[in-house]
Amino acid sequence: MVKTIGLKFAYAGEQGFHFPDIDLTPGEHLLVLGPSGVGKTTLLHLLSGMLPVSDGKIVIDNIEVTSLDRKSMDEFRGGRIGLIFQQYHFIKSLNVDENLQLRQSYPKRTKDNERRYRLAERLGLTAHLKKKVTQLSQGQQQRLAIAQGVIHQPKVVFADEPTSNLDDDNCNNVVQLLKDEADISESSLVIITHDQRVSQHFSNQIVL
Amino acid sequence: MNLGYLAYRNMISKPLNLVLSLLLLVLSISLVTFVLQLSKQLNGQIDKNIGPVDMVVGAKGSPLQLVLSSVLHIDVPTGNIKLNEANSIKKHPFVGSAIPVSYGDNYKGYRILGTEPAYFESYGAVLAEGRYFEKSFEAVVGNGVAKKLQLKIGDVFTSSHGLVAENVEAHEEHPYTVVGLLEPTGTVLDQLLISNLESIWDAHAHNDGDHKDENDEAHEEGEHDHEAHDHEAHDHEAHDHEAHDHEAHDHEAHDHDETHDHEDDHEAHTDEGDDHDDHAHDDELEITSLLVKFKSPLGLIQLPRFINENTTMQAALPSFEIQRLMGLLGSGVKTINGVAIAILLVSGFSIFISLLKTIRERRQELALLRTYGLGTQKLLYLVLLEGLFLAFLGFLLGWSLGRLALMMASSYMESGYGYVLQIKPPDLMELLFLGVTLVIAMIAVFLASISIFKLNISKTLADV
Repeated sequence: MVKTIGLKFAYAGEQGFHFPDIDLTPGEHLLVLGPSGVGKTTLLHLLSGMLPVSDGKIVIDNIEVTSLDRKSMDEFRGGRIGLIFQQYHFIKSLNVDENLQLRQSYPKRTKDNERRYRLAERLGLTAHLKKKVTQLSQGQQQRLAIAQGVIHQPKVVFADEPTSNLDDDNCNNVVQLLKDEADISESSLVIITHDQRVSQHFSNQIVL
Repeated sequence: MNLGYLAYRNMISKPLNLVLSLLLLVLSISLVTFVLQLSKQLNGQIDKNIGPVDMVVGAKGSPLQLVLSSVLHIDVPTGNIKLNEANSIKKHPFVGSAIPVSYGDNYKGYRILGTEPAYFESYGAVLAEGRYFEKSFEAVVGNGVAKKLQLKIGDVFTSSHGLVAENVEAHEEHPYTVVGLLEPTGTVLDQLLISNLESIWDAHAHNDGDHKDENDEAHEEGEHDHEAHDHEAHDHEAHDHEAHDHEAHDHEAHDHDETHDHEDDHEAHTDEGDDHDDHAHDDELEITSLLVKFKSPLGLIQLPRFINENTTMQAALPSFEIQRLMGLLGSGVKTINGVAIAILLVSGFSIFISLLKTIRERRQELALLRTYGLGTQKLLYLVLLEGLFLAFLGFLLGWSLGRLALMMASSYMESGYGYVLQIKPPDLMELLFLGVTLVIAMIAVFLASISIFKLNISKTLADV
């Protein structure tokens, strides 16, 4: 599902990162562990095509994404990749439900209310669907971010430090939710974190 | 969910920003549409009103005033002219038709005009109800007056002296009866109460005699006919109390309004004291002006000069005077339009700034949309939609405000001048203006969107 070969990235004039190869079968999960500054977020941005690679190649869902142009990459990412950012990003002028609808609408125009309501229910967001995103608590925003990452049934979900601000109980809950939702969507889940607490949940791990 | 909805939600998510970016746009559009409509409708109405009149002949004074008072009925008259002198113009071979008009009284601020039935024909006025006047103190009422004052056939009203409603001096002894109502004409006729010339003469002739016992008696005995009435006056002066009457008459003449100044009356009376025929009578009769339509275009060249040089009257050409007036007003209209266009350009700039600001503020949201699969083109389209929404909303509000101002101006003009402005759907010029507004908004969008092309989603989304 996700395969990288000899991935390298360097900002201009800086010493670059060299990443170990990844090879995931469909539905297989992966934890990438590493301390700050080893290029975790860079790896995630490379994998999702938001940054161009300096060398090497990435194949997702049998498509070599490193060779896609910008427009095709935007479309590919929109359809087959789910992203959960460390910093939450929502459309502030839309309410919770509309944010999820919007994510469902692109790049394919679908409106699966059933799936959206079920997902909201599993994530405890049903009562908050009509709220503005800014009215949500930190925990609710976290769960909305997860919902955004999986609602369109992507082939692979990339999550960047999803547990960094959470206590132990919530950390376990969130990781479990992520794994459950990825399984329901039949997506591969790649979590990139420095948080050692997460490691017990994953058998497949890479340390940077 | 489509992008239109998202654009709409984005636009209304910050109402204060929205108001700020709309303010200038609304101001400029309301100004332009208001001024365009006002000048267009005024020009249209004035053209219609002066259409049937090639030349006005009246007392010497300002030619513009003569046109404004006798044709458009928005000013006071320059004075009176002798009917027989005016009649001599009628005989000129270049003159097609010549309609005498006389006025000086009002009913609740609406002018009472004494004229001939040909006046209706010249404006193409048609009766909605009733008939035209056949004798004195029968009135045909314009559509606008009838509506405003709710006059019906058979209603009786008394005229007041002067042209404004405030004047309290009423001709109560000669009430008018409404015999006809006109269809709307879109001309000054809608705002007039029209009767025959004799009614105007009688109302004032009688007013003169009002203070003389003998005349009052004569009035009670006689018919309500100015000739009979005048004969009484002549008899009285010539045979009964000469000295006393001369004084009294002079006195009355001075008191009386200038439009019916009978200063020369007693001389005429003494000269022709016993002469009771109509010709002698015609010598004293006065009208306010004569509305002339030429038979030949040569009249336009020759007659005004002839009248101005050889008679005590003056001739004015409505189309020329109005053109002169509009030349003055036109520069005002141009100035206001210039200011409005300048405001429009500034408002385009303010839309640009506001879009630039939103795009900067929403950089992360735009980057997020990129991760949802919306390409640069779609993001551009989103911002374009927002800009066009803004421009369209601004135009709509500005246009409505312009029409509202027109309604207010209309009610002001109706009470002041009897002119009504119509509230019409957008015309071609205004649609063109909408197009200009949208184009300006589009330019603002494209200038503001340059950063979208350079959006670095990786960096933008990683920024905390």
